[in-house]
Amino acid sequence: MNVLDPSLPLAIGRLDGEGRLLDAEARLFELNMRAGGMIGAPLAVPQIATLARLSQRLGIAISRNVIAADGEDDLELWVRAEPDQGGVRLEVSGWRLRPGWRTPASEPERDGDFFRSAADWLWETDASLRITFLSIEAGARYGFDSSAMLGQPLTRLFRLEQDEAGELPILTAVAAQGRFDGQKAELRGTGRMVRLAATPRTDPGGRFAGFVGAAHMLDQAVPAAPKVDAPVPAAAVPFGGFPDSFSQRLDRALRGPLGKIIANADSISAQTEGPLKPDYAEYASDIANAGRHLLGLVDDLVDLQAIERDDFDTASEEIDLADVARRAAGLLAVRAAQAEVRIDRPAMDESIPVQGEFRRALQVLVNLIGNAVRYSPPGAMVWIRLERDEARGHVIVADQGKGIAHADQDKIFEKFGRVDPAEPGGSGLGLYIARRLARAMGGDLVVDSAPGQGARFVFSLPIKQ
Amino acid sequence: MSDNPVGMRDGLAVSARELLARAAAAELRAYKGLMVAVEDFFLPEEARLDEHSRAGLAALLRSLVETVEGEIREHAVRLLTGHGESVLVGALIEPGTSVLTRLWNSGLLRDGDLMEELIARVRQEMLGAALPMSAPDDPERPSLINRFVQHPDRVVAASAMAVLIAESRRRTSPDTGQYQTELPAELHHRLVWWTAAALRERVEGANETLDQALCDAAQRSLSAYDEGDRLEAAAMRFAAAIDAQPRELAGMFVESLGDRRIVLFIALLGHALGVPYALARDLVLDPAGERLWLALRALEIGREGVAQIGYALSEADPRRDLEKFADTLDTIAAILPVEARAALAPLKLDPDYRAALIALQRGGAK
Repeated sequence: MNVLDPSLPLAIGRLDGEGRLLDAEARLFELNMRAGGMIGAPLAVPQIATLARLSQRLGIAISRNVIAADGEDDLELWVRAEPDQGGVRLEVSGWRLRPGWRTPASEPERDGDFFRSAADWLWETDASLRITFLSIEAGARYGFDSSAMLGQPLTRLFRLEQDEAGELPILTAVAAQGRFDGQKAELRGTGRMVRLAATPRTDPGGRFAGFVGAAHMLDQAVPAAPKVDAPVPAAAVPFGGFPDSFSQRLDRALRGPLGKIIANADSISAQTEGPLKPDYAEYASDIANAGRHLLGLVDDLVDLQAIERDDFDTASEEIDLADVARRAAGLLAVRAAQAEVRIDRPAMDESIPVQGEFRRALQVLVNLIGNAVRYSPPGAMVWIRLERDEARGHVIVADQGKGIAHADQDKIFEKFGRVDPAEPGGSGLGLYIARRLARAMGGDLVVDSAPGQGARFVFSLPIKQ
Repeated sequence: MSDNPVGMRDGLAVSARELLARAAAAELRAYKGLMVAVEDFFLPEEARLDEHSRAGLAALLRSLVETVEGEIREHAVRLLTGHGESVLVGALIEPGTSVLTRLWNSGLLRDGDLMEELIARVRQEMLGAALPMSAPDDPERPSLINRFVQHPDRVVAASAMAVLIAESRRRTSPDTGQYQTELPAELHHRLVWWTAAALRERVEGANETLDQALCDAAQRSLSAYDEGDRLEAAAMRFAAAIDAQPRELAGMFVESLGDRRIVLFIALLGHALGVPYALARDLVLDPAGERLWLALRALEIGREGVAQIGYALSEADPRRDLEKFADTLDTIAAILPVEARAALAPLKLDPDYRAALIALQRGGAK
């Protein structure tokens, strides 16, 4: 939803000096009509009418990003108003639906923050892709002259590489005014490779105004101070270059406050202390949702750092895979009910004793069933089936969602791998972590699915010896 | 709450006498807390800092003090280590009351000049970040400052580059070692000596050797500091280098705001008016805006230019009243440049003379 398609329809309308609608192209005409307006009457969409009046009084063209109610939905519009022949000419584009349930910080923005927080350094450009900002310390650290690069075209700093499809992700993103990730490039003249990711900046008229980007060094060989002594044992390479204790501190520092924010916002939203204006209750529910997203992100980061350590290990306990699956399904019952999805869980008398760590197995299954619920249409069913062979016990989680194309089936297990970045959901770490955990316990996690047929994930653990 | 009060530190049961003493202390604390709350409640709303600026100010103050503290401590430790003063070194690097807390509690940070500068800087940054971005009509056209980086005149190109470098440095995180206070030299001076004094206080058994080391470290920090490196100074040099002609001014003002380069906008305005940066910044940050409209008219900016500047600033600053601005726009546009210049003449007087006049007024009775 956040890809600004320049081909999106532009609807033009004209108002007279009194703010009455003279004529309007179809989409604007219909929006105005649904809001109770008509030709010859004042514009009935208040935000657009305000903008038109302002433009007329100031005597200049102005643009704003406007959210207008359209029946049950919210529409996100780019509106440009310009004084014209004593009246005002309107250009309205965008026309994107903004579902009410979406947290205010949209997913790609959150992902953007996420990428930047883990990036080695940052850069920004203007619309002509000339550099307007660079992390000033990056040059000295990675062997280029930061100050000489400012104001220069991005391609002076980076030699861009094509991806497998023979395309440059950054150019595709410029054309679509969307975000990109995974643009490989060489830092010119240094021989060092980076991965670039960026989100577009947009002006209030919906036009591309540049990129806000991050760079991740692909080679780990950070030029360290010359070594004097015998080789020091290498520390486990921490995720994103953070010190080892970072995730623990992050966990400690954020989990408590976030928990409090979520709990309080939930009780405001539930109006347990008395009635409240409905929109305030909704804000509170937005706050709680945003908090839950953040908490999820903290969990993912902590897990990510744990599993990427060389000495990561899981406990080997005797667990009942059927019991774990039933518990995971139970944990997601509320979310499934909200999404009008039914979970068909294993019967109480089923049992498959396997070797693994209870907590980690539960985590994998909560992730799989959670995904299945998220991608299921209302009224659909999520099946959880058990199977066993000589060596392994299997849990199969199947849904009736749109399925995963064969070509994407490896991608979903990659770090930050998401098939459709516009899709709401997690950080792109869940399945990556789940598979690493399954393999660490001597098992595996695989998918088989075809587009249109739902997804089928198989989580296996070794049978108890 | 637990039924058996137990000391949080040692886990021992709390004696009755201690409880009574604590209750008495709590009563006094509650009263003082109430007085502060009452004071706070009756403050005029428009004079109070909003939460956003307050948080920004606290963060800025912390990074400035910690940066200066880091510099002085590091150098003093090096000097003391050279003299074999390991006990003093240990005391100096031992975690204790932070310098920031000490300066905060001492009231020294309530320095009017320092706070004026910091609050203005926080507001300036907030304003810049909230300005509506404006994309060029031609996507190939670089932003204003980037075009000047390519300028054939090397003085212009170098000064444009210096602005970009200074801005990137300003946005650096304080942890990178590239961070500087970027305060006017006088204020940096004050902060350095305060910090050195606060560091001395933390060391038990401080002696002349420590004093000398702290003084040397402070001196070193002062001599390495160049206020000409400040982003504001770089922007003023750029404005002087391009010396925009009257007919170019309106376009540059609007474009610098559209590029979200608020410091550049202020510097262009300051240079065109012939006033120091800090004064131009006052005009731009003042939500009432009257002095800014006069200044724009003095520079012969037409109705359209004033409207675009006023609109952009209103979109970025919730304290501004866009409707009121639209109401007065015609009146503003009708002011003759010569009148506007006369009204603004006092701004061009020697800043020290103006400061003295204001101080005298504040002082009260003749």
